[in-house]
Amino acid sequence: MLFNSLTFVVFLSVVVALHSAPLPWRVKKLNLLIASYLFYGAWNPPFVLLLMISTAVDWKAAQWIYRSNTEARRTLFLMLSLATNLGILGFFKYGDFALQNFVSLAASVGVAYQPPEWNIILPVGISFYTFQTMAYTLDVYLKRSAPTKSLLDFSIFVSFFPQLVAGPIVRPSQLVPQFAEPKRATPPQFYWGLALVTIGLFEKVVLADSFLAPAADGAFGAAGAIMPLDAWTGVLAFSGQIFFDFSGYSTTAIGCALMLGFALPNNFRFPYAAIGFSDFWRRWHISLSTWLRDYLYIPLGGNKKGRVRTYINLMITMLLGGLWHGASWTFVVWGGLHGLYLAAERLARELMGDRSWYANVLFKLAMALLTYFLINITWVFFRAQSFDAAMTMLASMFALAAEPKAVLRWSEIVPAAVVVSGMVATHWMMRSSSLEAVADKAPRWLIGAVWAFMLFMLVITQGSDSAFIYFQF
Amino acid sequence: MPSSTSSSDALRAPTPLSYFDPEHVDRPVPGKPWRTLCVAALIATIALTAGWEIFWRGKGMIAGDYKNSNALWAQERRKAVGDATVMIGSSRIFFDIDLDIWEEMSGVRPVQLALEGTSPRVFLKNLAEDDSFRGLVIVGVTAPVFFTQDGGLRADVLGYTRDQTPAQRWDHFLSYGLEETLAFYDEQTRPATQLIIWPWPLREGMTPLFYPRKLSISTRDRNTEMWARVVDDPVYQKEAQQQWATLTAQVAPPPSADGSPPPPFPQEAIDAVLAELKANVDAIRARGGDVAFLRLPYDGGFQPVEDFGFPRERFWDPLIAATDSVGVTWHDYPELQGYAIPEWSHLDPREAERYTRAVTPIFYARMEEKKAERAARKD
Repeated sequence: MLFNSLTFVVFLSVVVALHSAPLPWRVKKLNLLIASYLFYGAWNPPFVLLLMISTAVDWKAAQWIYRSNTEARRTLFLMLSLATNLGILGFFKYGDFALQNFVSLAASVGVAYQPPEWNIILPVGISFYTFQTMAYTLDVYLKRSAPTKSLLDFSIFVSFFPQLVAGPIVRPSQLVPQFAEPKRATPPQFYWGLALVTIGLFEKVVLADSFLAPAADGAFGAAGAIMPLDAWTGVLAFSGQIFFDFSGYSTTAIGCALMLGFALPNNFRFPYAAIGFSDFWRRWHISLSTWLRDYLYIPLGGNKKGRVRTYINLMITMLLGGLWHGASWTFVVWGGLHGLYLAAERLARELMGDRSWYANVLFKLAMALLTYFLINITWVFFRAQSFDAAMTMLASMFALAAEPKAVLRWSEIVPAAVVVSGMVATHWMMRSSSLEAVADKAPRWLIGAVWAFMLFMLVITQGSDSAFIYFQF
Repeated sequence: MPSSTSSSDALRAPTPLSYFDPEHVDRPVPGKPWRTLCVAALIATIALTAGWEIFWRGKGMIAGDYKNSNALWAQERRKAVGDATVMIGSSRIFFDIDLDIWEEMSGVRPVQLALEGTSPRVFLKNLAEDDSFRGLVIVGVTAPVFFTQDGGLRADVLGYTRDQTPAQRWDHFLSYGLEETLAFYDEQTRPATQLIIWPWPLREGMTPLFYPRKLSISTRDRNTEMWARVVDDPVYQKEAQQQWATLTAQVAPPPSADGSPPPPFPQEAIDAVLAELKANVDAIRARGGDVAFLRLPYDGGFQPVEDFGFPRERFWDPLIAATDSVGVTWHDYPELQGYAIPEWSHLDPREAERYTRAVTPIFYARMEEKKAERAARKD
């Protein structure tokens, strides 16, 4: 079910009430597990089986890895876990993509192959929970941790509803221990959690869906070339939409978990104030970038195998990171561009060394704007439906397209401009701070007024029926 | 254990920007009286919401007006099984037929599946492919929408109905409570909608935006009538007419100044539509069901578009002949003419009642005649 739905309001109220009831801790954990399966099954009940399969396989595989005496057996059981998880992911998410590429490849050598239509529904959030549960067996295999002792705790870890379908991708060491002891939110945790839920839903429903999506959809949905104003508005609006949509989900997830007494890690830290791309990836989708670092980049050798291998490892990591987002070559290009940016930044650092003017505020501001500009170029590939559409959008942005049309109305341009300007300014002002630190310093009346404003806007916007963008990944 | 969920003091010093730490989760809570703040925010929100509700009630919005959502349509679609009588079409049959009066006159309460701006052909095909349906389909024909090639504005409702998740069904059920209580719970009051209909200047090279205002109110089973404000508020009525003028200028240009007709609709396209219709009608009849057609009144800006652009002899008559169906058009019956049509396309509520009382007996009489004619043909 969607966070931005009436059903979720009722669901969360019931879960919180049961979690606060005087019940044994084991019963409360069972409630959480059932609630999580219900939350996921509300999209498509049979897909709960996928969660159960991942849970059962990884639970046993981790134990077998831990007990194995030989490296071969350890590797065998790791392969069992990876094959199960990546097999499910590959079948549901990449099956059609692989088939289409096979057909194109066959056609390029003169073989006309017409496969039957691929009518497989993508289970929502499959990439998130697959990566989360794989981290468990990988940690045991890499001897970073021992298997957990409780199947119930591990089952909740795999399916914990607040972050199940769009992250943050939580590590076993972060969440499983929290299920060991009875947890219940203190009153400040509960109300601060509620405030975070309000902020997250405000980001999603009001800012992303109401004020930014119309401009982004209008520009990217246009057929043919569009005016530079329209193109830039659309791309900048999408940069805001994707941030508020995804950050909104993470913030709501963190808030829901906190209302139950559990702590989830931050997934964003004002990413559009990033100075450079390594900084960006410390601020954007942090739980994925660190997952890729710990389970892909470092196992590939990271920066320990020489200069050339470092750049190759970087590119492999970002290309696969792109493909993680979606079964399309445009996502691979998106990842590839980020890989190139990171490589270029690394190279520039190597060549330039440390300079005193790096600390100059104007230099930082210029670099932050350059970073934001280049990130917007990557969003074009992320959002466009095809390469042709992406190239047309890029040509439109730089006034290189022939016969451009105006497609956006002032009703789309003005709200997008206001919200995106506010977003970038806020990120810059808060780049070295945190939401909690700001709330701690702010006067009470201001917090109350902002909270009431966000709640009121949520009420009059009447929610929205649209799913979070990252659900499809 | 490596998680921390409360540490107000940790906030006093700026939190260093550390990379993600897989061993720790710091979730500090700012030091504020959160319960008090929460209660204050809730009270302020309730007060603001009450003001918003009063404002919109002043604009004519009422509680108990159900959203014409995909979920409501899907709910009604699930009733269209067995020998049900089903109405499909675009907005005219939706506004102009009062289901209560139809039921009173005929003893049958039709399932209302018409959707604004959407060709009923997609719904006819859907019913034809549904083996569980063997009832009567009454098709409202608004020629420019009926013959459209892409299904129209809300053809995606079929995909929604097929893929509707359990959560979406629960949401729909829960939304009843809000719809019964709150007048402002309506698409038109959303800030995003208000931004769209705000009179912004038009950008160079763009045509005026077609964005119909709220025109109707509906019950829980989609019995729909024109919203009172369209009838009573001349300014709002003018705005509604202006929207239709914008639409007709864009999608169906009226005849040119010298009176010559607009570019003709290709005959091959009409033939293809008729062939598709016949196949679907035959499929429903093969299961014991039937299909009939209604054409409902219009005037003002729609008259030149429909009369010149979609002349009866090229569209309506061949449609009835090709499908061997009952076709009742307002042009043929004096008692179906002369009704008040405030915004050129839909009857006002009182006129819809009067119209339904007039058309129901005509319709069923024609159905009886057709039945006799078919029986005679068999003999």
